Amino acid sequence: MKAIRKYGTVLKLSLQNAFVYRSNVIGGLLFYTLFIFVFFNLWRAIYQGGRVAGYSLTQMVWYLCITELVVFGCRSGVFGQMNEDVKSGSIAYQLNRPYHYVFYQFFTALGGMVFNLLVFGTMAIVLGMIMVGPIPGFRLQSLPFVLISGIMGMVLNFFILMALGLTAFRMEENFAFYLIYQKLVFMLGMFIPVEFLPGWLRDIARFLPFSYVAWAPARLAVAFSWELFIEVFPVQVLWAVIAFFIAMAMYRFGVSGIQAHGG
Amino acid sequence: MKRYKGIFRLIGLYFRVNLASAMEYRGSFLLQAFGMALSNGTFVFFWWIAFQQIGGRIGGYDFNDVMFIWAAASSAFGVSNILFANMNAITRLIVTGELDTFLLQPKDVLMNLLCARTSLSAWGDLAYGFVLMALTHGGDWQAWGMFLISIVIGGLLMTAVSVSAHTFTFYLGDASLIGGMALEFIINFCIYPEGIYRGFVRVLMLSVIPASFIVHIPLKLARSFNIWMLLLLFGVSAIYCFIAYRFFYRGLKRYESGNLIITRM
Repeated sequence: MKAIRKYGTVLKLSLQNAFVYRSNVIGGLLFYTLFIFVFFNLWRAIYQGGRVAGYSLTQMVWYLCITELVVFGCRSGVFGQMNEDVKSGSIAYQLNRPYHYVFYQFFTALGGMVFNLLVFGTMAIVLGMIMVGPIPGFRLQSLPFVLISGIMGMVLNFFILMALGLTAFRMEENFAFYLIYQKLVFMLGMFIPVEFLPGWLRDIARFLPFSYVAWAPARLAVAFSWELFIEVFPVQVLWAVIAFFIAMAMYRFGVSGIQAHGG
Repeated sequence: MKRYKGIFRLIGLYFRVNLASAMEYRGSFLLQAFGMALSNGTFVFFWWIAFQQIGGRIGGYDFNDVMFIWAAASSAFGVSNILFANMNAITRLIVTGELDTFLLQPKDVLMNLLCARTSLSAWGDLAYGFVLMALTHGGDWQAWGMFLISIVIGGLLMTAVSVSAHTFTFYLGDASLIGGMALEFIINFCIYPEGIYRGFVRVLMLSVIPASFIVHIPLKLARSFNIWMLLLLFGVSAIYCFIAYRFFYRGLKRYESGNLIITRM
């Protein structure tokens, strides 16, 4: 109970912070609009009026609005934060505080992610409606399930990035890991729906966590079905739990080797 | 002439110093460069999938055309960030007062501040362009010629765009958002076929955000050479760079020092 209240306070402060410094999202919204505009032009040229791999142009544009929302709009700076904390040594100051570092970082980031979800989510709806109109066949009853899947995608993304950031404990330069992970998410669901991939790669992608960050919630949004939700949501939860334990293990492994020097 | 020789000598000196500094941490340098090249390489995968699905042209371009503009954009970006990495930090230098250091030195202020930093990962961008050209254009010497020209022109134009955008800091107080957006615009306009854009955006790409001069016109020249178009390319690029240079110095007249004492190490 005490722990819930403690991290609940962290979340509340993070949310308040996000609302106070709300003008910080303006830059992000402009970039988001640019990306969606460019992708809309690109896919309109690719489609030339037809369907590709089971997606219409309308579905494809909404798909990109959702994937960009999850990965770009609701991103956290956890990778950079981990690097900064470890390399500067400021992580040492947080070890003797009455909270667990991993949980603290998660709830701090969660406040920002929730705020961004509201703001960027609104922008996603506005841009989608302006460019291509409503999603064909979309039912409002499916929205809570799409939201849950989107939030799970964000949580999965967070813990993977946290685990990658904590490699700073052992590696001088770990930016390449971030780039590779970012591009795997990009290519396996964020920019290209999994359905577009060649059959052999599609089968591999289904067993990897990358497509469950963005493809799962976006696919549910543009073509919701109970069968799909039951198929993807448990896998998202499973990968989120695995990523959480990997992040915890990286943290414990890293902290055990910390040497603090006075000064 | 003496002034230009001095500028080139300064660029050369900074390049050697920055490279030597990067080589001190060879592992880190190679990892960053390789990571960036690998990151860029994933787009080849996307375009391969897209052309497989469509089976025709996209925005008037075939697969090799897209690889050309990608290679040119990547290497031009690499060159601009290897030589002039501080183009992204102009706003920070102005706002924090670190510009003072460059004002006190007996060298061209803009060139001095642009060259003072390099980006290690940009070597990956530069190398990636060459690898992509080698894989897709092989012995097509016309394409290679235009690729090399577009690297030089593209590097200068990307720098000029960034300088122009960040110069607004002298007028607005903080133009980091404008600077970031300008670079993002130019990259996004460069890496996709020209034909996917229509109307006002095409005008933008031939003026304020000169993406067409960086990749699309060099591609046209690589496919069908025209001396007048080449001269137009050089002329417009030179004019754009000249305007950016003058705009920076006009903005610099409004600069007031914050008396910050800093150490350059």
